[in-house]
Amino acid sequence: MRWQWEIKPESAWFEWNWKEIWNYRHLLLRLIRRDFLTQYQQTLLGPAWVVIQPLVTVLLYVIIFDRVVGISTNETPPTLFYLSGIIIWNLFAESFSGTVYTFTANAPLFAKVYFPRLIIPFSVTASHIIRFFIQFLLFIGFYVYNLYTGTVSFNLLYSLVAVPLAILVSAGLGLGAGLALSVFLAKYRDLTNLIQLTVRLLMFATPIIYPLSIVPDKIKAIMVYNPLVPVIEFFRVAFLGEGTTSGIQLAYSAASVIVIFFIGSILFNKMGSKLIDVV
Amino acid sequence: MVNDPIIQVENLSKLYRLGTIGTGSLRQDVQRWWYQAILRKEDPFFKISRDKESSADFLWALRDINFEIKEGEAFAIIGRNGAGKSTLLKILSKVIRPTQGTVRGRGRINSLLEIGTGFHDELTGRENIYLNGHFLGMTRSEIKSKFDEIVAFSGVSQFIDTPVKRYSSGMYVRLAFAVAAHLEPDILIVDEVLAVGDAEFQKKCLGKMNDASKKEGRTILFVSHNMQAVNNLCQRAMLLQKGSMLKIGAADKVVNHYLSGIQQHLLSQQWTNIETAPGNATVRVTSVKLIPDLEDTLRPIDIRTQLTLTFEFQNYEEGINLVTGIHLFTQSSECIFDVSSKPQAYSKGLIQGTCVIPGNFLNDGSYYISIIFVKDTTTEVFYLSECIAFDVEDYRENTNWYGKWMGHVRPNFPVILTPLPSFS
Repeated sequence: MRWQWEIKPESAWFEWNWKEIWNYRHLLLRLIRRDFLTQYQQTLLGPAWVVIQPLVTVLLYVIIFDRVVGISTNETPPTLFYLSGIIIWNLFAESFSGTVYTFTANAPLFAKVYFPRLIIPFSVTASHIIRFFIQFLLFIGFYVYNLYTGTVSFNLLYSLVAVPLAILVSAGLGLGAGLALSVFLAKYRDLTNLIQLTVRLLMFATPIIYPLSIVPDKIKAIMVYNPLVPVIEFFRVAFLGEGTTSGIQLAYSAASVIVIFFIGSILFNKMGSKLIDVV
Repeated sequence: MVNDPIIQVENLSKLYRLGTIGTGSLRQDVQRWWYQAILRKEDPFFKISRDKESSADFLWALRDINFEIKEGEAFAIIGRNGAGKSTLLKILSKVIRPTQGTVRGRGRINSLLEIGTGFHDELTGRENIYLNGHFLGMTRSEIKSKFDEIVAFSGVSQFIDTPVKRYSSGMYVRLAFAVAAHLEPDILIVDEVLAVGDAEFQKKCLGKMNDASKKEGRTILFVSHNMQAVNNLCQRAMLLQKGSMLKIGAADKVVNHYLSGIQQHLLSQQWTNIETAPGNATVRVTSVKLIPDLEDTLRPIDIRTQLTLTFEFQNYEEGINLVTGIHLFTQSSECIFDVSSKPQAYSKGLIQGTCVIPGNFLNDGSYYISIIFVKDTTTEVFYLSECIAFDVEDYRENTNWYGKWMGHVRPNFPVILTPLPSFS
């Protein structure tokens, strides 16, 4: 007779229980389903909000930044330019703010039933990836029209790399940073304000409403350390034929996101099991 | 049949930090981290709290708990509020981590710390069955194969595609319980929160647990305040007090120990010094005693027990026309009865009074007794208030229902049903 499981005061730093997460995959899928089913309950337009939100944002940006302020988007049509930035940024920002509140938002649930806690942030991020695809279809709609009128040029090879890379980096960064900060946020609520502020500021430090090419070189050199910058630029290279990035920068982006994700999930696993006492 | 242990708990302790978490906790955290991770020394706060048993900032919710549960056993954890029962269940359910010690086990464990965990109001009954089932660790195929059974059990089949926010609270609970009842774990952990709800629901709950334990051979860990249910369901029990294990063993023994320990009896009082004894210039009471008619004096008073109240008092007034009355009150100060002696003249000296409260008369609950002394049937001489306090425990036979029995009294009048001849 041997024991099959053990409960100890601490979990090891590198306790990866992927098998357990796999066993709970149906829960993950259910939670994604729940997200979609509940978000649009009792709304008139329902899931159409997934595309209305970026559409309205783009419209605002075109009016304010393009028409009123007059920030150049170089040769690319402003609609596509803003839309590409917005959908990638949204994926990051939503994944991040969805996962960073994991403990505070789910405390009553976590106090009553055990399941691998990572399921919650994973399901949140997965929902946002699905939303990204819907918004990407919207982008494709505008894109095909512009392609027809001949204002953009399409690079198939690049775009086949750019789309998965954009998803990996923006969702991975949102999830990884969210996981890492969620454990601190659970304990010290001051971070809530700090985090909201940082995300808002970070948006302006990311080339969403302006192309990286108009940024002075000195600032540009700092900006590219933001893993989101190279992938957004590369996405624009692939679809709009304009952008400033390099293979090294892209490799850096992917690598840093993987590192952040691992740090985040290690912290989450290690500290998460003890947080129920303090949330 | 000798079964192997399925859960083994070793030196389990849980320390809680009390008070609010503010700037102080960050400083403490940094300090703890510095000591433990950098200096490799013992946690300074841990040390303090171990030195001083009652450190104000820390609380040992559990302390050095050791026990084993064997496969197929129904095991109860009992104790007063704050004894650490729920903390222990939470650790065993993996919801919280212990501060020290380990738990080892085999097989799938399911815990019902509440029912309907993860139910979402906006979702339909159908969606919630799946969601709740998955939270409890059921696989999709398991839920699918039992779906019809769950719906039938809950009795809400008509509304299965209606959002649960439109359900009545009864329907909601029934649906939630239906999912829980169809779990098939090796070890089932049940908190007493399940025992809320109406009598019908409780009966269903306990019946299902009884089946799981006795028919299906599952291991059950049960926390309850209901000693009858514990006695009926469980073979073994553990008594916790302030986080420590006080007693472990056969359920009935542990339950009796618990009941005799917690009873706030004031079963007898005696005043040896007549000068300070309660009373006045007319009467002074020297003793009051309530004697339960029990073979084993360690057993608690239950509803069947006959109780004899005896009291002695000194009478200082020659030829007094005296009546003594016994008032029995519930804990909430409702008078159950007021019985009195016949008015009669007494000469000076010691007088003894007795009154027998028959068994099968009082319902379970807490009671107290006051004694009144009246002169000439109208003038109150002295009132000895709340001189005896006692608890009556529940006892039932031939029933699976353990809800609260109604009424202040529980007499044994027979109710007779006679089938009538039919002439059709």
